Amino acid sequence: MAYMTLKDIDVRYDKKKQVLKGLDLEVKEGELVSLLGPSGCGKTTTLRVVAGFIEPESGVFSLDGEDLTKVPVHKRNFGIVFQSYALFPHLSVYDNVAFGLKMRKLDKGQIEQKVKNILEICGLSEFEKRFPQQMSGGQRQRVALARALVIEPKLLLLDEPLSNLDAKLRINMRMEIKRIQKKLGITTLFVTHDQEECFSISDKVAVMNQGVIEQFDTPENIYQRPKTEFVARFIGFENFLSLKKEGNVYKTEAGAVFTVETVKDGDFVAGTIRPEDIRIAGEKEDHNVLSGTVGVRTFLGKSYQYEVLTAEGKFLVSRPAEEVYEEGSTIRLYLPESKLILVNK
Amino acid sequence: MRKNKMLTVFAVFVFGFLILPLIIITITAFGKGSAITFPIESFSVKWFVKVFTIKSFRISFLTSLEIAMLATVIALLVGIPAAYALARSGLKGKGLIKSVFLSPTIVPGIVIGFVLYQFLVLSLRVPVFIGLLAGHFMVTLPYVIRVVGSSLEQFDFSTEEAAWSLGCGKIRAFFKVVLPNITSGISAAFMLAFINSFNNIPVSMFLSGPGVSTFPANLMNYIEYNYDPTVSAVSVLLMAVTVLMMVIVDKTLGIAALAK
Amino acid sequence: MKKRSAFVMIIPGLVILAVCLFLPLLRVLIPSLHTGEYPLSAYVTFFQDEYYRKIFVRTVKVACLTTGFCMVLGVPTAYFISRCSKKWRGILLSVSIFPMMTNSVIRSFAWINILGSNGLINRLLITAGIVEKPLKLLYTDFAIIIGSVYLFLPLMIVTVAGVMENIGDDMMEAALSLGADRIRAFMKVIFPMSLPGIIVGGILVFTGTLTAYTTPQLLGGNKNMVLSTFIYQRAMTVGDWDGAAVISLIMIVVTLAVIKGFNSLAARLDKRGGDHA
Repeated sequence: MAYMTLKDIDVRYDKKKQVLKGLDLEVKEGELVSLLGPSGCGKTTTLRVVAGFIEPESGVFSLDGEDLTKVPVHKRNFGIVFQSYALFPHLSVYDNVAFGLKMRKLDKGQIEQKVKNILEICGLSEFEKRFPQQMSGGQRQRVALARALVIEPKLLLLDEPLSNLDAKLRINMRMEIKRIQKKLGITTLFVTHDQEECFSISDKVAVMNQGVIEQFDTPENIYQRPKTEFVARFIGFENFLSLKKEGNVYKTEAGAVFTVETVKDGDFVAGTIRPEDIRIAGEKEDHNVLSGTVGVRTFLGKSYQYEVLTAEGKFLVSRPAEEVYEEGSTIRLYLPESKLILVNK
Repeated sequence: MRKNKMLTVFAVFVFGFLILPLIIITITAFGKGSAITFPIESFSVKWFVKVFTIKSFRISFLTSLEIAMLATVIALLVGIPAAYALARSGLKGKGLIKSVFLSPTIVPGIVIGFVLYQFLVLSLRVPVFIGLLAGHFMVTLPYVIRVVGSSLEQFDFSTEEAAWSLGCGKIRAFFKVVLPNITSGISAAFMLAFINSFNNIPVSMFLSGPGVSTFPANLMNYIEYNYDPTVSAVSVLLMAVTVLMMVIVDKTLGIAALAK
Repeated sequence: MKKRSAFVMIIPGLVILAVCLFLPLLRVLIPSLHTGEYPLSAYVTFFQDEYYRKIFVRTVKVACLTTGFCMVLGVPTAYFISRCSKKWRGILLSVSIFPMMTNSVIRSFAWINILGSNGLINRLLITAGIVEKPLKLLYTDFAIIIGSVYLFLPLMIVTVAGVMENIGDDMMEAALSLGADRIRAFMKVIFPMSLPGIIVGGILVFTGTLTAYTTPQLLGGNKNMVLSTFIYQRAMTVGDWDGAAVISLIMIVVTLAVIKGFNSLAARLDKRGGDHA
């Protein structure tokens, strides 16, 4: 049963450029869902529609069965963590966190209790008298999170919250966010362009491209079974070959025959495979084979990576360091049917 | 972000308040009758012609240009080195010296005119023109210190050090490296100082004498004794010059240069 | 930089300031402290005189009201400008700067045309049959105030807009997301954040109005004098140079006090922002 639903959302900027095209998304209660995609794909816009900063041209946003499309931001009761944190510089940590509670006209005792409690959870108890500009990036991030959580929001929205932190802190904070999110059981939307961050934190991932969701699935499935060429490329696949369905097999334009384990609708698809899954073909392999010339060789420690030029274009192949192929030599690549993934072009 | 209608209506009201009176002046300047009426009954440009026939306008206009130009140039000559020294040196009491340079802003203009008239003109027998120039220097100097100072604050002084290391002497480095990089600040300071000197009245009230009288003071005098569309016509001409100048500033420095 | 060369650069300015400002100020204003039977007696006399006191009070009242109106009108307008697209921000900023670049005589003259007995407002009122005889709008305190607001509102708008431009949209959005409606978000977040700019604007408008000459002269006339027009009248018309010196020093002291007052107000409000409610 979906808790949060976006149905057929259209958003245009300045009446011209369409940023979201009939976007659909369903999120279950307590889930952490990431919106992943390159800049300009519409992920932040989607988040802003949910937050209420943007009113979609058409479509419905509902939460827990209630249509909230036209409800103004301040009546939605969602917690938002901004990319810039957007802490109020004129207020102390305590007052920043208490802000939302004061707007709800809670009495002083209640405010104090709730603020102290959330500061404790976020590990900020000793900083309550500090001002934002006196704190480090990671601490500010926590304040922003505490401020968003203390109002006991129906939804937590995080807009690239980790992008301003250095690499090490980012890993700590994403575990922290996950821990707090699970502890409070709060349904969360997380916007990011970093796939590693996204995979590590999310229950489900929506990969977005040009205003639509290309694939909505668990991180594992997206990593192992990308459905479209865009998703495959975005999560790091680099080897692609065009295939045409002919009976039970697929053929390249040059006529090489490929078989795969999973079937795909459509006659024209693309095959993709990770560099470490490509093998060197033996004598007996007569299909799923591509021959090519070895180009640039790069030493990566445990392995060599080769650029192999084939009739289907450049392929990256990773082989153990013990196996060495010279530049310029001809090799036959074997793409095992269990590893070759078909995606929509 | 969703636009707020109430705020938009409010802003439209405020901008209307700012602009309508000037539009009314512009329309009345083209009236035919010798009394100012709005709306005008018939169209004429005779008041524009009349502006150029009033001798005191012509003379005082030139005086104002001369005073504003001289005061601004002197303020730049004195103010740029001072701003540079304040930005660059480790002098003790920099803050104090800077506030001394900005202190003319806290002395009311009429008081500056009054004490200069008493001290320079009456006691020391300095010509009125020099007194007027001194007064307008006080109007222009703070603009130079503030605007050039803020553009020096943004200047990366390591480029000056780079010039030294490349064999450029300190004085040459100032002219070859520092000055070219703060020209927009200097131009903005020039415009602001010049305009504010040209428009200033209080400083000039006391500092006038035979043949020495500024244009705005003359204009004010004229209004107190005459009420005809000549002043409207003068206003339109001055506003036209202002618009022209703002367009030039916008194309070269950006309009925000005048918001300092 | 060597100290000596820094001195060489600063000295010319200091010398001109000393000779053409500080020395004249001291020479003209200090004696006013000692005129009369006892020290400061000229000042005591000034405030004992009902007519003088009235001028003083009028000046301060006009400055206070003008500052108040400029804040009420200017702060929301500045916020509006700061939230516009870049193109519109440039246009609206130009529209605000244009009056600032226009001579104050012209700007006051505009209001003579509007407020005069034959002016726009009276003609409208008479044509509409609301009044029979023209109302006396010109040469009143009201005229001085509206003229001063007109004179200084652009300065307030431009000053405050400059500060508000640096406040990101995310501040407003954060406040909204925490349950504040637009007006409360503005009052609780945007307003305190722009307070430094509003204080600077307040100082500029207050001291500007306090010391303005043209507008009170043209719109107030001889019956509604303020300190700056009064100085001129004392010195040039009556020949009371000592009196003019007294008024001059009073104006300087009030200006300094106002600047100090505004700044300490800013400091107080800032601290209050940090208190636990």
